[in-house]
Amino acid sequence: MLEAQFGTRLQALGAAMERGDEAAFHTMLDDMLHSRKPALFGELRELTGNLQVALDRFRVDSRLADIAENDMPDARARLAHVLNMTDEAAHKTMDLVERSGPPAERTSKAAAALGPAWLSFRARKISTQDFRALLEQMDVFLPAAQVDAELVRRNLSEVLLTQGYQDLTGQIIRGVMQLVQELETGLVDLTRISSQGVNATLREVKSSHGFGPVVPGVTKGVVASGQTDVDDLLAGLGM
Amino acid sequence: MSKELKFLVVDDFSTMRRIVKNLLHDLGYMNVTEADDGKTALPVLQQGGIDFLITDWNMPGMAGLDLLKAVRADAKLAKMPVLMLTAEAKREQIIEAAKAGVSGYVIKPFTAETLKEKLDKILATPGAK
Repeated sequence: MLEAQFGTRLQALGAAMERGDEAAFHTMLDDMLHSRKPALFGELRELTGNLQVALDRFRVDSRLADIAENDMPDARARLAHVLNMTDEAAHKTMDLVERSGPPAERTSKAAAALGPAWLSFRARKISTQDFRALLEQMDVFLPAAQVDAELVRRNLSEVLLTQGYQDLTGQIIRGVMQLVQELETGLVDLTRISSQGVNATLREVKSSHGFGPVVPGVTKGVVASGQTDVDDLLAGLGM
Repeated sequence: MSKELKFLVVDDFSTMRRIVKNLLHDLGYMNVTEADDGKTALPVLQQGGIDFLITDWNMPGMAGLDLLKAVRADAKLAKMPVLMLTAEAKREQIIEAAKAGVSGYVIKPFTAETLKEKLDKILATPGAK
C-alpha cells in the first residue's frame, strides 16, 4: 500500500538527491508534504469532532456540572447541620444526666438516713419519741421519693428520645455519601472521555425517593415547619 | 385500647427502631416486632398477625410510601392502620402519603406525647384506613 502511494515519488526524491538536484528535491518534498496536509487535517478534524460530540454528550448527561454548582455547596451545609445536631444532642443528653443526679442522690441519702431508726424499730428497741420521729420522716420521705424517682424516669425517657439524632444525622450523611459516589462516577467518566466517548447513564430519580431530614438553607420546596403544620395540612385534606 | 396489639416498626436505622420500641413499651404495648426495610417488612405483614404498622419513609430497598401502597393494595392488609414516622417534611410528600391512604403522619424529631396522641387517635376511629 505504502509502496503504491509513495514508491515512485520516493524513487524520484532519491534520484534527485543523488544528482545533487536541490531544487527538484525540495519541490518534490514540498509536494509530498502538501499532499499529506489535507489527510492530516482530515484526521485532526475527525478527532476534534468526536471529542466535541463526546464532551457535549457528557455535559448533557453527566451530573458533574450540577454537582459542582449545586450539590457540593449543599453537601457542606448538610454536614455542618450534622455537626450542629450531634453537638446539641450530646449537650441535651448531658443536661438530662446532670439534672437526674441530684434527685437520685436525695432519695438515696434520705433512705440511708432512715436506716438506723428503722433497724431499731425492727429490733423492737425504738423509743416512742424516736418512733414518732421515724413516722414523721416517712411522711416526708415517701412522697418525696416518688416525685424524685418520677423525675429521674422522665429524664431517662428524654435521653432515649434524644438519641433520635443518630437516625436523622445518619440519613443526611448517607445522602452526602451518595453524592460522593456520583462525583466519583462523574470524574471517572471524564477521564475516560478521550478514548471512547462517554456512555454516561442518567441517574434514575424514583418517584418514591425521599429527601431526608430538613436541612435549613438546603432543603428546597415548601416544608412543614413542625408537627402542628403537618396536622393542619392533613386536617385540610379531610383527615 | 387493647395492649395486646401487635406492632411492626419499620426503619432502616436500628437506633430509631429501638426508640420507638421503647416508647411503645412505655405505653403498655409489649408486642413489638421490627423490620429494617419496606422489602423485609412486606413478607412479615403478609404472614399475618400484625395489627399496626409504623414505618419510616426513606429506606434503601423499598421506601415507606411504596410499602404503604403495597399494604393498601393487598386485600388482606388494606385496612391496617399505618402511621408514617419520618423526617420527610415536604408538603407534597405529606399530601402524597395522605393520598396513598396513610392513617397518621408524625415528623421527626417527635415527642413521646405526639406519638401517643397519634396512636390513640388512629385506634379510636373504628375500621379506620
